[in-house]
Parts: sequence; structure tokens; C-alpha cells
Amino acid sequence: MPGAIDQDPFDRSRRIGWLDLGSVFKSRVLMVGAGALGNEVGKCLALSGFRRVTVVDMDRVVGSNLNRCLFFTREDARAGSDKAEVVARGIEGLSPEARARAVVGRLEDLPDRFYEGFDVVLGCLDNIPARVHANSHAYHAGVPYIDGAMEGFLGKVTVCLPPDGACVQCGMNRTHSKVADMRFSCTGEGVVFHEPRLAAEITTTSVVSAVMVRECLKVVSGRTDMALRNTFYYDGQRNVAEEVEVPLDPRCPNHPPRVLQVSENNITSGSVQ
Amino acid sequence: MVLLTFRLKVKNAETGATVEMELDGDNTVDEVIESAATFWNKDMGAYVLRKGKKVLRGGSTLGDTGVMAEDVLELIPDPEGG
Repeated sequence: MPGAIDQDPFDRSRRIGWLDLGSVFKSRVLMVGAGALGNEVGKCLALSGFRRVTVVDMDRVVGSNLNRCLFFTREDARAGSDKAEVVARGIEGLSPEARARAVVGRLEDLPDRFYEGFDVVLGCLDNIPARVHANSHAYHAGVPYIDGAMEGFLGKVTVCLPPDGACVQCGMNRTHSKVADMRFSCTGEGVVFHEPRLAAEITTTSVVSAVMVRECLKVVSGRTDMALRNTFYYDGQRNVAEEVEVPLDPRCPNHPPRVLQVSENNITSGSVQ
Repeated sequence: MVLLTFRLKVKNAETGATVEMELDGDNTVDEVIESAATFWNKDMGAYVLRKGKKVLRGGSTLGDTGVMAEDVLELIPDPEGG
């Protein structure tokens, strides 16, 4: 006969010494993007015990999403359901205690101080401009930002812990600017957003989203000492994973230059605005 | 200021191929990335250049990054999708 411990959905999680389930249950998580990564991250969040999740996405489900999105159905694709709504419902379906809120809209239209209401932000985005936007808003709000990205069998996870260390934008260069510029083009009648069709499949999505939520568990459990401090690269074709250092870029707009303020008795640091 | 010309290798992380480049200390990391991506006819996309376990800053000159002659740098695609 199963005992009481066999009835507790989190019994096995409680056996992980450093995991602070109390904090996991009550932490407020913002997930930006409800595509492939958003589906898998949503699944991992729900099963890990996160109960207060806000999901933001402007997009609707289409048939080509279905090879890598757990919560999307053919009916959703036929109906053109809002991705954020479907993922929020999916999270609540996996975790009866979860309250997932869907925000259907553009990331750029969120109020500036929106990010301040969260303990952690998970970036499940599919383009550089949105990634730059989420990264900078989270950084300036002082909220940890965990960014995931993938293409084909390549994946990447970056953890940003403001006010210290590099952010996602620190790792970008001129090729990122060119790609971002290419996404927007002027047709003469307005600005068009070009959405490339990038290679994607579920196994890499699963690896990247699992790493993102694992880092999220460390952050909300107060164990940032164990968290990634740089970028995790994953090459599923060769089955190689490694952590690569991304140094803070003093020219990155998210890091105002710091100067030493020298007074008679002490030395403190401050920012130049 | 005299900027020395030196040679280094850039490795294509996707294929393992390498190309030898002759560069000056005032060449930037951005320029190396774009030259290597063009040489291999890579798709338009984001790439980073790393030396060992460290990503090199795009706007930095090779002189600033401490890259030395005969170093092997690696060009890796930076995934964008989600």
C-alpha cells in the first residue's frame, strides 16, 4: 500500500537538499515567449512547483509549431489560438495549484515597470530585438534574466544576475545588429517585420528549456553560487556542452561606466549616468 | 604607433575547417567574424568568435583582446530561435 509520502507530488523534489520548494511555490515568474521553448519551459515550471507564472506572447498557433510544442494541438492550429493562452492553460492543467496568467500582446507594449513585479524572467524568444528588449528591461529592474535560444541542434542558455556580471547584450556583436536590422525593413508603405523560418526540433528544445528551468530553481532557491555565470552552449549534433565566458562589455548600454569616488576616509564606487 | 601584422587561424565550429588569416593588431573582432563568415559562405546570421573558453567582444581590436600570432580562434553560430 502506498504511504503518505507516495501521495506527495513533491516528495522526490524535497529530497534535493538545496532546493527551497517554499520559495519555488511562491516566486513570481515571467515567461516571455510561448513558442517551442515556452511550451517546454512551461511544462518544467509547472512540474517543478512554480505556481505564479505570467506568460507573454503576441502570436497564434500554426501547424508548423506542432512538432515541438507539448501544449499545442491541431485544433489550436486550426482555430489560430493565442499561444500565451494555450500555454497558460497547459501549465494549470499540469499543476492544479498553479495560477498562470496569459498576456496576449507585444513585449514592447508592456509597461516599463512591468518587470519589477517578478522574481525571475525567462526569455523564450525567437528574435534578437525582443531578446535585447527583455534583457535590458529585466537588467534595469534588477530581476534575474535567463535567456534560451536554439537553432537546429544548437542551443544556448545565458543567465544574467543584475547588478553583477555581463548581460545578454554584452555577448552581441555587429552580426547580431545586422540580423536585427534585417528583421525590420521599410517597404515604402511601412515597416515590415520579417520572421525567418529557422530549423527547430524538440530534443534540443527540451535540453535548452530544462537547463533554463534548472537555473531558475537555483536562482529562486537563493543558490546563485551554483548558477551559470556565463553562457551554456549545447551542440546536440556532436553531443557536446560547455560553459563559455562572456565578459562584461563596458560599452554595453546596460552597464553604465563605474567610477571610483574617493573621499577622505573611504573609497566607494558609483555609476556615471 | 606601429601595428604588427600577424597570422592566426580561425576554425569553423560547424565543420572543423580552418582558415589562416593575416591581420593587424588594429583589426577588430567584428571584422574577423565577417571575413570568416564570408569566406565560408555562411548563412546570414549571428556568430561569435571565441578564444578558448572566452567570447571575444565584437568591437575590440585584436590588440586589445590579447590575441597572439598562431592563436586558433573559433567561429560559432549564435542561435536566435525559440
